[in-house]
Amino acid sequence: MSEPRIGVYVCHCGFNIAGTVDVKKVVEFAKNLPNVVVAKEYVFMCSEPGQDLIKEDIKANNLNRIVVAACSPSLHEVTFRTAIKEAGLNKYLLEMANIREHCSWVHHDKEKATEKAKEIVRMAVAKARYLEPLEELEVGAETSALVLGGGIAGIRAALELANYGFHVYLVEKSPTIGGKAALIGYIDPQTKGAEVVSKMIDKIKECPRIQVLTNAELIQLGGFVGNYNAKIRINPRFVNERCTLCGECEEVCPVEVANEYNFGLSRRKAIFLPFANAYPPYYAIDYRVCVKCGECEKVCRFRAINLKEEAKILELKVGTLIVATGYDPYRPFKGEYGYGLHPNILTLFQLERLLDPDSPTKGELIIGGKIPKNIAFIQCVGSRNTTPGAKEYCSRMCCTTAINSAIKIKERYPNTNVYILYKDIMTYGSDETLYEEAGKKLVNFIKFEEKIPKVLITPEGLFIEVFEYTIQENIRIPVDAIVLSIGMLPPRDIEELIAVTRVSCGGEGFVREAHLKLAPVEAPTKGIFLAGCITGPKNILESIRMGSAAAAKAMALLSKGKITIEPMIAQVNEEKCSGCAICVGVCPYSAISIKTVNGDRIAHVEKALCMGCGTCSAACPSGAMQHLGFKDLQLLAQTRAVFGGEVHG
Amino acid sequence: MSEKPKVAWYWCASCGGCEESFVDLAERLLKVFETFDIVFCPVAMDFKREDVEKLPDGSIAVSLINGGIRMKEHEEMVKLLRKKSNIVIAYGACSAWGGVPGLANLYNLDEIVERKYLEIPTIENPKEILPTKKTIVNIPEAKIKAELELPEPLPTLLPIDKVIDVDYYIPGCPPTPDVFWNALQALLTGNLPPKGTVIGALQRSLCDECLLNETKPEKLLVKEFKRVEKAIPEPNKCLLAQGFLCMGPVTRGGCTALCIKANMPCTGCFGILDGVVDYGGKAISYFGSILDYSPMEEKEIKKAFESIPDWIGTIYRYSLPSAKLSHRAGLKRSKLMKEVFEI
Repeated sequence: MSEPRIGVYVCHCGFNIAGTVDVKKVVEFAKNLPNVVVAKEYVFMCSEPGQDLIKEDIKANNLNRIVVAACSPSLHEVTFRTAIKEAGLNKYLLEMANIREHCSWVHHDKEKATEKAKEIVRMAVAKARYLEPLEELEVGAETSALVLGGGIAGIRAALELANYGFHVYLVEKSPTIGGKAALIGYIDPQTKGAEVVSKMIDKIKECPRIQVLTNAELIQLGGFVGNYNAKIRINPRFVNERCTLCGECEEVCPVEVANEYNFGLSRRKAIFLPFANAYPPYYAIDYRVCVKCGECEKVCRFRAINLKEEAKILELKVGTLIVATGYDPYRPFKGEYGYGLHPNILTLFQLERLLDPDSPTKGELIIGGKIPKNIAFIQCVGSRNTTPGAKEYCSRMCCTTAINSAIKIKERYPNTNVYILYKDIMTYGSDETLYEEAGKKLVNFIKFEEKIPKVLITPEGLFIEVFEYTIQENIRIPVDAIVLSIGMLPPRDIEELIAVTRVSCGGEGFVREAHLKLAPVEAPTKGIFLAGCITGPKNILESIRMGSAAAAKAMALLSKGKITIEPMIAQVNEEKCSGCAICVGVCPYSAISIKTVNGDRIAHVEKALCMGCGTCSAACPSGAMQHLGFKDLQLLAQTRAVFGGEVHG
Repeated sequence: MSEKPKVAWYWCASCGGCEESFVDLAERLLKVFETFDIVFCPVAMDFKREDVEKLPDGSIAVSLINGGIRMKEHEEMVKLLRKKSNIVIAYGACSAWGGVPGLANLYNLDEIVERKYLEIPTIENPKEILPTKKTIVNIPEAKIKAELELPEPLPTLLPIDKVIDVDYYIPGCPPTPDVFWNALQALLTGNLPPKGTVIGALQRSLCDECLLNETKPEKLLVKEFKRVEKAIPEPNKCLLAQGFLCMGPVTRGGCTALCIKANMPCTGCFGILDGVVDYGGKAISYFGSILDYSPMEEKEIKKAFESIPDWIGTIYRYSLPSAKLSHRAGLKRSKLMKEVFEI
């Protein structure tokens, strides 16, 4: 490449930068830096005239490197890359000097901020001298998607994708899709989650482009964006589509376990139908508990049961993956608010099931054999640091769900006193009207603060002792039943999910989005999207919306049929690489392998898999692995410049 | 017959290993004598400084210099040889990067003298005699009476390229006869790489020629760091993969993995590769990278690193004086320098 001819453009960003940094001084400083041919200022570099200024200069002064001193590259790097490309320059010959977020916004002293801005510009110029032109790459891509998790978010995502003509594999671990929304919760006082789920399932039944795989799990994910190879294990269901739901098998089955679909309120057999509207609509045998006695097989008149069925492995090629594997309800420890010590202390999930027409009590509020006269909800169980095992976060859905249930109870059992013991009521948005309505229906709201309520189990019955915060008094409430409004936890098998899909864990144990504002719904690995409660607590509506959002992002990727690969990735200098394999172990994306080239072991970077994190370049002991756009040479020039060293090599 | 090219061989702070490697050329040594005219070689021949001074500038074809710069005398001699030579070669790890004696850059001269003359278990010095600047030597029987003067020590040890311009480097502690021979061939044929590079060795790291490289697992991750002092390596299995701190990946190849063949991890005597900025920095960054820390508690990670008692001696065994942080701060202030040498 010919001798660098650098143009430096310093942006005022209105007063954002110019209010704290003396832009004129920075321009004068830049003019004297080596290889700088022109240095200019403008009030908004990102505006059309600002960009034109750069484009004209490139042509007039034959510039071959551009430094824009303005905002964060995540904001306008693309803008300026496009601009210099239009002027005929390779778009990677641009270096952003962030003098806004890294300087003007965080300082007050104008003189010092100006000095710092100069240093930042000096570093950028030092690096710009070594910038190289880079080219984007394109590879073909599959046009099908894999949706992991058949809850409401996954179902929504699958439907969106299928509606737009993409083939979808909907993989669900349990024997039915529908998730927890099918079991609990109201979307609003009139609409049950289960009804919405049923409607969605009806659509799935009609849609030939969605292939539902239940009892199935993703056990391996290879390949890269656009070209993922997914290995799915389908665990045996032992019951096929000839099943008519007659239920005779269930009667003869000798194995009985707690029914997880009723959150332990009832028991079920090893052969069972998860719930009334389960899909696929056949019985299933829980392969983990079945003793293979063969009774069900004998009694089935439709030859729908085959106990010899074995697990199958399915290999799929998909372009994208949507992870929507949901959450687990918080598990109170024994004795947490008396949980597990008294039959009348249940969780919100159990109560929701109880009130469902499909429940063991046929929807009647019967706890401990009778309709409670006094029932109390304790909020924030497992959330907001209330107990030692509780999480820090708010689980978002428990207040609304509890209030919704309280209203239902009040409507159906006007003589029952309902208490809600809360820390703060989080009925955000339009749910606030429910809070008001509950007040009108004379639900008693009792506020506690740091000191949490105490549940007393006495021979006289259940009591709750609590320091009421608003009236600043200790009160004692006799109750017949207590509902613990439990929050949400990351799913138990999240470690396996992370190991297989390489999504990354966020601070609260849920999966992290690449960036909440700039890359929502995206996992850090390209081509993997996230939906529903896997990224943290959400209500049903939010999960549905996130399912749609993930599908939209997946479609944007699938619709092209090809993938553009960023060139700022790792590159091996084969002359220097000795195949020591240290890079292979550190790569978080499994993008590097050792290949034999002319008899030598050489590291090989799968370009489409590389996310450009730079870990391998840092770990490479021989300097053979270089990160394009961040080569040692470029970074060292920058480092020398920051310590006031020569800008020249 | 045209005049044979002149060669000078000088030692600075050297242990004698480099000289030994010269002898290890064995019968090939005859070829060396046949080809070159040796004009200066304090280890074997009785030439004096004046002899070198008398030579015209640039008249020595090649000067091979081993050992690092520890004393003023070394500095003066290498400057003189530079003036008289066409090509100057830093021979061996010490002259190239400081070598093992370079680890003394962690101590000031007082500490070094105290250790060397008083503390070392094998030293017997009941009168606690320490070096002085001048010593009177009086042996009446031999009619010798003279005043000897010790050359002034420098506060730190320096690789020779911090004092003079160096054309090429021959790596090793000491260089192997083959590497030396390769370098000589390159010099004779004039088939030389750009100035400032290493000759006689490989451009790739040791793993390239190591037979155990093939035995590396797909992902190189270790649970702990091991030392040969405490554990015996399994044969025929990559030592790094076993957790031994093998410097192979960060070290230039060319020795044919001699130590590994003897089931000992590489200690790094062939030094830094082109394009790497700091040898020890790279080494520590890859040791950090191969520790399988994900299932570990912070305590365990700390323990893994603390199991190596001397990290600097491990990662900078041959190159501390050429590192980005080449010595301990404040080494210029020492009693010895001030009181004995009055500097």
